[in-house]
Amino acid sequence: VNERTPRLDDLVEGTVAESDPLRNVHALLITAGAPPELPPHLAAAPPAPRTSVIPFPRRYRFAVIGAAAALAVALLGAGYAIGRGTQPDEAYAVEMTGAPGASAEIVVLARDGGGNWPMELTVRGLPPLDRGHYELWLTRDGKAVELCGAFDVSTGETTVSLNAPYRLRDFDGWVVVAHGSSEPVLRTAEI
Amino acid sequence: VEAVIGLGPAAGRTAETRFVTDPSALRDDELIRRVAGRDHAAFAELHGRYVRAVLGLALRTLRDRGRAEDATQEVFAAVWRSAGRFDPRRGAAAPWLYAVARNAIVDGLRRAPEPPGEPVDVAADEPGPPEQAEAAWAAWSVHRALESLSDPERKVIELAYWSGLSQSEVATFLGIPLGTVKTRTRSALQRLAGVLEEQGAKP
Repeated sequence: VNERTPRLDDLVEGTVAESDPLRNVHALLITAGAPPELPPHLAAAPPAPRTSVIPFPRRYRFAVIGAAAALAVALLGAGYAIGRGTQPDEAYAVEMTGAPGASAEIVVLARDGGGNWPMELTVRGLPPLDRGHYELWLTRDGKAVELCGAFDVSTGETTVSLNAPYRLRDFDGWVVVAHGSSEPVLRTAEI
Repeated sequence: VEAVIGLGPAAGRTAETRFVTDPSALRDDELIRRVAGRDHAAFAELHGRYVRAVLGLALRTLRDRGRAEDATQEVFAAVWRSAGRFDPRRGAAAPWLYAVARNAIVDGLRRAPEPPGEPVDVAADEPGPPEQAEAAWAAWSVHRALESLSDPERKVIELAYWSGLSQSEVATFLGIPLGTVKTRTRSALQRLAGVLEEQGAKP
């Protein structure tokens, strides 16, 4: 303790018992030293690091049924490739259809080091909900089994970042439901 | 909020999800889980709570302001990438974040080692690695805990401990009675004791 180190009994009213936890806090504060001053560029949170996306060829919106089938096959292929672990950095895009006038696209980004699959979900034409929100679920055998995230929509197009910390090969598609509802409003093509 | 989703006759799987709109109301572990789900607001809140602790750790490790600031940004990028690996069953949030920060700082040091310079004489009474590690963890915990104080409480603690002012001088500086300074100091210390205990840095 040097002459500039404050004494606890000088800092607070009254006496502090030897066993009082404040003495340990006092000691920790002295050990820790002052927190550093933040430069302006560190004061605000940085933009979230971007995940690299491998460009996916743009498709015609109103593709024929054959194209939809090809997408379904691509989804299956994605799960197959993930399962084999041969193309862990590849990204995929999957179309969703359902409610009249509504559609969505899921772009599955490169898997991060933690085993998460970040996704960008772009939704068009879903009506805003008066209460609650929509949810994106992974499906298996026709059942929604794992939640990937929740989102709200406004009129027009909405893009949100979601995540799937799961092994995608364990699933066969995605659905969008209104929170609390069992009826999908969007789903990936039937496989 | 519990969501029950069923898509077929055999459906009925339940999943528990919580929806809290204000990240400042969330615990650190809840924020990390949200960051794993790519929640930018949660990331910003976590940054606010830990950026001083991270910069302090980087300064202790690197002893260079510019490199420490760069390392701080690397740490938060690492938190963003690895949040999905956080498992609250295996430990509290603060130690996990400390480990991520320390690893990111050390990894950065390996990638860009310090340029060779004149050999530095190490004082005989300089703390050894265990003591340095303990001091680094203490600083991390304290600097994080300070962010949980209200502005008036944090101000009085910073002035009392690191300004070199006496409490009477602190009172004059802040323009409040000496008794208020001492009362506020005590309440701030009590709050810090609680936060440090939650963090696992038992005071």
